[in-house]
Amino acid sequence: MLKSAGILLVAAVILFIEVPSLLEKKHKKELIVFSILLAIGVGLSIAYSFGSAIPNPIDLLTFIYKPLHDAITR
Amino acid sequence: MMQNVKINSYQFLVLVILFTVGTSILIVPSALATVAKQDAWIAAIIGTVIGLSIVWLFTKIGLWFPNLTFVQMNEMLFGKWIGNILSFLFISMTLLSTAILLYYSGSFLTTHVMPNTPMGATNILMAIILVMAVRLGLETIARSAEIFIGVFFLLFIILVVFIAPEIKFENIQPVFEADINSIAESSLSLIVISSVYAVSLLMIYPAFINQPKSAKKFFLFGNLIGGLVIIILTFLCIFVLGADITARQEFPGYGLAKMINIGNFINRVEALMAALWIICLYFKMVIYFYSSVYGLAQILNLKDYRPLTYPLGMIVVVFSLVIFPNVMEQQKFDSTINIYFALTIGLLLPLLMVIVYAIRKKQLKKNLDYA
Repeated sequence: MLKSAGILLVAAVILFIEVPSLLEKKHKKELIVFSILLAIGVGLSIAYSFGSAIPNPIDLLTFIYKPLHDAITR
Repeated sequence: MMQNVKINSYQFLVLVILFTVGTSILIVPSALATVAKQDAWIAAIIGTVIGLSIVWLFTKIGLWFPNLTFVQMNEMLFGKWIGNILSFLFISMTLLSTAILLYYSGSFLTTHVMPNTPMGATNILMAIILVMAVRLGLETIARSAEIFIGVFFLLFIILVVFIAPEIKFENIQPVFEADINSIAESSLSLIVISSVYAVSLLMIYPAFINQPKSAKKFFLFGNLIGGLVIIILTFLCIFVLGADITARQEFPGYGLAKMINIGNFINRVEALMAALWIICLYFKMVIYFYSSVYGLAQILNLKDYRPLTYPLGMIVVVFSLVIFPNVMEQQKFDSTINIYFALTIGLLLPLLMVIVYAIRKKQLKKNLDYA
């Protein structure tokens, strides 16, 4: 619980740093992309802090390239 | 579209050197010695030569579009949709590499320097300065690289001079024992790590250099110097540690620095040498992270890339912690799957670009004139 509180605190600090200047400049698209990425980041961090499994990009790459590797090394 | 920063050719040279040396200085000697044994230095030389020709290809592509970054080149060559998909693959590669390098730095620090610290702490600290550098922009990165290259070469020369008394020539014999296949196989890892990944420098190379034509030489020259550093280090590892120990260590360069002993007075200076690897690792990481952030901003057509740095930094930290459950997995991934992935993005994609450019040359010339 403490960990996720810490992560939310970090997210709040990031929001505090970025959002006012973005609103001021009226960069709508930037704000949307920023929010989506931050949501992903916070989600992943909290999932990690609870010890749940996070999708690992390495597994995906292994799945894609394994047949090629097997074909070459055989 | 975004702010107009330019760095000069010398600053670019420094970045290329630090990028080429990057992770290779830590892990390549062991990767080379695993298969080629005491002939690892031959593999290093061959790898550097082949790597140079790959970098030459990159400079060639860069000079066709002197004002565009790699992402914009993709869009120009393949059109909006396919170009953006390919750029997205490129971004995923650089972002993944950032996470992998963060893992390296964390695992290096927690195994050798601070064994009781959890890896999360070191990675977060590293990520903070990573985000800081990218937010401050390319010029700041280039200038700090200019300062640190002096430190880097000073430490490297100290390492080489101090380790010289430990050289045992019998370690390198018999020469040319490895057959050509195993030499080619082991040089592949060096080619991939120090040259094929240099495709991420195409995010900087033509667009942000004030004289792209003369910088072409510096791109090649920087790669050559980086290659020489790696060749010298591989030589020393084989000479001092021997092929067996080099192959068995995770960080043979660190093991090498442990062997320094001058008159029982100057010894155990490896912590000083660790600064060498942290510097290289850091700048390589910065370039990867810069390319991914800047590239993502360009794909999505944003006006500023800075808002993306903090969230992406957060994502990278999480991935760096989960990406490899242990060192064995990392070694396995590095020596197999990673090579195919890097070759797909770093060699296949540029070659595809060459083909498409050759076909669409006339049409593109017209577009470039308009732009």
